[in-house]
Amino acid sequence: MASAPIPAYSPSPLENSSSQNASRENLKMELLADVALLPGEERIIDKDLIYMCPFNGALKGKVFITNYRLYFRSTDTESTVTLDVPLGNISRIEKMGGASSRGENSYGLDITCKDMRNLRFALKQEGHSRRDLFGEIFKYAFPLSHGQPLFAFLSQEKFEENGWNVYKPMDEYRRQGLPNERWRISFINSNYELCDTYPTILVVPFKATEEDLRRVATFRSRCRIPVLSWIHRDNQAVIMRCSQPLVGMSGKRNKDDERYLDIIREANGTTKLTIYDARPNVNAVANKATGGGYEGDDAYQNAELVFLDIHNIHVMRESLKKLKDIVYPNVEESHWLSSLESTHWLEHIKLVLSGAIQVADKVSSGNSVVVHCSDGWDRTAQLTSLSMLMLDSYFRTFRGFQVLLEKEWIGFGHKFASRIGHGDKNHADQDRSPIFLQFIDCVWQMTKQFPTAFEFNEHFLITVLDHLYSCRFGTFLYNCESVRENYNVRAKTVSLWSLINSSTSIYMNPFYTAESSHVLYPVASMRHLELWVNYYIRWNPRIRHQLPLTLALSPQQTHTRPASLSGFTAGTQGLTNKPHACNLKMINI
Amino acid sequence: MNQSGLHARGRDMFGLCCLPGECVLQRAVLVRKKLSPKEGGGWLSGTLFCTHFRVAFVPQDSPRPDDNADPVLLGDHDVALASIEKVVAVGPLRTKLVTPSSSLKFTPEELILYCRDLRVLCFLFDRLTPDTQAVEITYTIAKTYHPLKPGTILSFQNAALGSIEMKQFLSNRRRDSGMNWFESSGDWEQELERTGATGWRVSSVNDRFEMSTSLSRFNVVPQKVLDTELKKTFAHFNEGRIPRWVWRHPHGSDLLRMASFQNNIYHEKDDIRNLELILFGGQSQCIVVDLGDEMPSPADLQLAHTRLRTLCLGDISSSVSVPDDKWLSSLEGTHWLDYIRCCLRKAAEVACLLRRGHLTVVLQEPEDRDMNCVVSSLVQVMCDQHCRTVAGFQALVQKEWVVAGHRFLSRINYHRDSDKEEAPIFLLFLDCVWQLWAQFPARFQLTEDFLLALHDSLHLPLFSTFLANCQRERCRRSQNLPQSYTPVNGLRELPRGSVEEPVDPPYPPVWDWALQYSTQRRALFTQPVCQPSTPAPVLNGNFNTNLGPNWISDGVPGSVFLLSRSLFSCPSNLLPWRSGGGSVSYRKSHRRAPSSESLPALERLIKACGQPDPLQDIHDPHQPLIPLLLGPCVRIWRNCYLRGALHAQAFTHPMSSNARHPVERLASEVEHLRERLAQASVGRPPNRKRHEHRRLDSNLNQNTNNGTFLFSSSSSSSSSSSSSSSSSSSSSSRASQQESPSRFSARPPAAARYRDGGGKHTFLFGHQGEPQSSQRYAPCPGAKLPKNSGPSGAKTH
Repeated sequence: MASAPIPAYSPSPLENSSSQNASRENLKMELLADVALLPGEERIIDKDLIYMCPFNGALKGKVFITNYRLYFRSTDTESTVTLDVPLGNISRIEKMGGASSRGENSYGLDITCKDMRNLRFALKQEGHSRRDLFGEIFKYAFPLSHGQPLFAFLSQEKFEENGWNVYKPMDEYRRQGLPNERWRISFINSNYELCDTYPTILVVPFKATEEDLRRVATFRSRCRIPVLSWIHRDNQAVIMRCSQPLVGMSGKRNKDDERYLDIIREANGTTKLTIYDARPNVNAVANKATGGGYEGDDAYQNAELVFLDIHNIHVMRESLKKLKDIVYPNVEESHWLSSLESTHWLEHIKLVLSGAIQVADKVSSGNSVVVHCSDGWDRTAQLTSLSMLMLDSYFRTFRGFQVLLEKEWIGFGHKFASRIGHGDKNHADQDRSPIFLQFIDCVWQMTKQFPTAFEFNEHFLITVLDHLYSCRFGTFLYNCESVRENYNVRAKTVSLWSLINSSTSIYMNPFYTAESSHVLYPVASMRHLELWVNYYIRWNPRIRHQLPLTLALSPQQTHTRPASLSGFTAGTQGLTNKPHACNLKMINI
Repeated sequence: MNQSGLHARGRDMFGLCCLPGECVLQRAVLVRKKLSPKEGGGWLSGTLFCTHFRVAFVPQDSPRPDDNADPVLLGDHDVALASIEKVVAVGPLRTKLVTPSSSLKFTPEELILYCRDLRVLCFLFDRLTPDTQAVEITYTIAKTYHPLKPGTILSFQNAALGSIEMKQFLSNRRRDSGMNWFESSGDWEQELERTGATGWRVSSVNDRFEMSTSLSRFNVVPQKVLDTELKKTFAHFNEGRIPRWVWRHPHGSDLLRMASFQNNIYHEKDDIRNLELILFGGQSQCIVVDLGDEMPSPADLQLAHTRLRTLCLGDISSSVSVPDDKWLSSLEGTHWLDYIRCCLRKAAEVACLLRRGHLTVVLQEPEDRDMNCVVSSLVQVMCDQHCRTVAGFQALVQKEWVVAGHRFLSRINYHRDSDKEEAPIFLLFLDCVWQLWAQFPARFQLTEDFLLALHDSLHLPLFSTFLANCQRERCRRSQNLPQSYTPVNGLRELPRGSVEEPVDPPYPPVWDWALQYSTQRRALFTQPVCQPSTPAPVLNGNFNTNLGPNWISDGVPGSVFLLSRSLFSCPSNLLPWRSGGGSVSYRKSHRRAPSSESLPALERLIKACGQPDPLQDIHDPHQPLIPLLLGPCVRIWRNCYLRGALHAQAFTHPMSSNARHPVERLASEVEHLRERLAQASVGRPPNRKRHEHRRLDSNLNQNTNNGTFLFSSSSSSSSSSSSSSSSSSSSSSRASQQESPSRFSARPPAAARYRDGGGKHTFLFGHQGEPQSSQRYAPCPGAKLPKNSGPSGAKTH
């Protein structure tokens, strides 16, 4: 690794003087003295070790483990490097080297994080010095594998606002003008009897009886029947979401399902209902072998089927893995663009976006659409929520976006627990996949192309992603509503929106211009998509990071950081790189 | 349509405001122009003209131009014939590249003009456009546009500037006195004073270009060197381009540039003393930065740029288009971004060296007329905030390019007679500046629009700035040349004022922006927010306080280092006279080879610039701009290279897609406003403040897509600096000027910019296998339908 970089200029008066001073004053500091523990957070263990920083080389320091986080602080007197990693972020922890392995700093721990970085710690080889540390991290990073509760259930945090009240399904449907003479609210799923991965309140065609719904459910994978996600106020065209039909090898048909889709088509006089199958054509065909499939031409006469060629969760996972390889710890220098191309990450982003554009365009021209993939909880959620973001300016507001996530992702059962693996030690689980991250990346691409159209800023998106993993809030826990209800998540945990809505100013886009009724079509072309550097490469100190606005603007705030940290951990996460930066030594020349 | 034209200045009956002597050759009515994303997207109806100077488009209901106003060469929607590279007609079934000799067998529905400056203009003929008009105007444009070749340039220039009225008008025009032109010795004195440089003087020894034909008349050299001594040094350098001072860093180091040494010359003792005096100025050390071998060659650049153009423009007539999924690797394959990175890195290194103070950094390139211009001016853009204002930047280009003798004429190759010399050196520089701008938008007073304007003007062979290879040629043309003697290095020149030479029209400098751009367009050249004032120059150059003690000691006075490939060395033959035998007798040459201990210190400096300091306070206006050069940080200038690509026009939002750091901009703006508030509260005279408010207001309409203004004048006096209050006031002020998404065709172009996309939009789905059924242009309600509902969507694949 390169030796400590030299700051070219005098240190910033805002950020670093305070932390440097702090480090000098509290050299023999109290545990976590500069970071207030969260209510409910408890110390577990601490240890002197060496952090093998990929950017600044080996750094002596002390690591503190609580039941929520791993906190490292270097003991370097000149300047301080800190790491503040929620344990939920850890996907894998391994021992590296053995008691007999040679070489300096070859014995220690290697931690793989879910947020695009790896942490290496070296310890003394004598006396199994890493054993207890490894054990505690392993236990508290993967509590579910040890029969322990997630930290969200231990947290005692209190906020001004209760984020669980952000989304009320009835209010949202009412906002869309529902129910009306064509669409009704159905409580058929109030006990999760129709479909255990759907929410309790569903909007279905007025003409379809509860009995119809039950019969349709038999023909849709996991009983995820077509239900309304969004309705166009003026032309009454709708976005319906569902799972694949159970056609199977034999090409089964179901009259009820066919009739049900026709009712949807008739609701606003659409001549041909468009069914968007998010998968590539071949995948859809292959699904017939496992009992799934797609809507055939002859069975659904008044529908046209369009495949959107978006690949499955496994492809996306591998793509992100390749991306990580070229950005962490070092950014591929010589052939950056072709390396980026070979990850296909941006290409997948493009396909998702262009799929959503097609959906939005269809709907805004007055045609109702049905969107599905295989089970209707990954690609379908991406497509419906992105097209709703394009069509409806409400979802581009601060609160509206929270509603969108609550509704399309959390409510309709995106399998967060399986995709993220909260508290689960099985890092190689084939169900894990960065589908939600990919969606947020698409949103970010839109914010880049329409900088005044979104009320929230990049920091907001990064905060959401950080807490996707942190397990500090209940928002993204578990796979669906019914499970969440079983665990009583709303009562026992705090919502992420409580944190965010209690200090909104740092998440706001100052350039936001309220407008309505414009459909935003981003350009889904490689020529206009960009890698989200501030997220994927944020740990690299050679990338200039933007400070959250308030930090940048008020020097005073940095002095109150311990207090404010409990208020926004986004800061801890997003800013961990800054203490990093403090490590730079002035070289006298 | 006849060719009679209107010889007096006057308006065509369809609203075109002609230049004096400009003839309308052809017109077509009911044409619609496709607006670029920056203009708000969509279509604009109006009348299309072809004159013998330009293709003009006058929107319907555009406000009557003031007949007494000064002539503007090009309207907002016009393109000069000389900028057009290709004319493509799109018919119902086919597209055809129209050349002056080709015949058209169909009536075009759409006319696409590919321009040299990478714009693409797309005009749609309406069903009601008479067929003959559509055909005729296509023909006329194809016949009259000027494929660049020797001879056509002059007729184009005459069409634009050749009329008596125009000549008169131009000769009466005042030069912009707000910028330094570096044409008189006073201009150079002013620069010495501005930068606080002492120990230097302006020499007029080259006043008649006797010493060096390509250097400027005035050159800055150390005070200690007399003109008589100076005269002897010219012979020691290629083309007589001796080391000259160009800039002083606030820390007291000096930047010089020179050509390579002439080795085959005998170095006399006295010469050597002078040579070293010139190299060292008053400083104790000297670092020669060799730009010869590690920078891209002009041929490399030309190839890269040609590839980049082909890649970015696409061309529906040739249907050779890079598939979208290969875009990134194709872009990499052009190497353009590598060359950008290379220049920025070199300039950053030099900027870091200069920070040390007490040395001279001498840029050396064999000819001192290409990369020296790029690096020297980039260093100043990075370190000198004056160079980031429009006036300062223009002065910089005058100093380092125009007066310093960059061969604009040969490099641009207007006359198609120097194909081997052609190379986009200046475009490379503009791109580098754009990269800096994109990474530090808040630190520039000039904007991307200004850089684009300069980029586009380079393709118009009308400006004295670009129509000569050196100052001497420029002076000859304007007949101001002092009595000329045979140049020292024996370069032959044509006898001056030969009678056969046609009299060229007087060329204006490119900086006379009012000739080219409307007031509204020019208002976009600067940020609405005032920059903090430049710090007073520090005299004596003793500002540098952070010198380590070892620096003074480890630098043996008189050490010369060579920086090449990011490594320092002190080769014995660096200064040719030192390696020769003559040095033994000379006292000053006892300067030993510098101690090798000082090398690591220098190398640390260079490393520092590769590792931009994260502690660097982005809000301190006086910090140098050290750009990030990692792969993801150097990017393509989309608003320049991709603005013509038809799919790019799917943007319906007037904001540019790569406005990089809104928060950074905002933050610095809030900072400025807060400063101003603080000033106001301490009781500063309110005059200036009111003036600034007015400026904000006046920019409100013009600069909406910059998004940089925050406060309406009413709120700025009372607003706190918190972001929430500022954002609310900004949204309210903006909301009030939001326009209803009504028909844009009935709106003047300036207003159309801020449309947030009305009605439907077109877009192109990125990949091949998708159904195309949903692509269409959506005509505005009530507008007449084009003959073909979706002409370009399907073809752009």
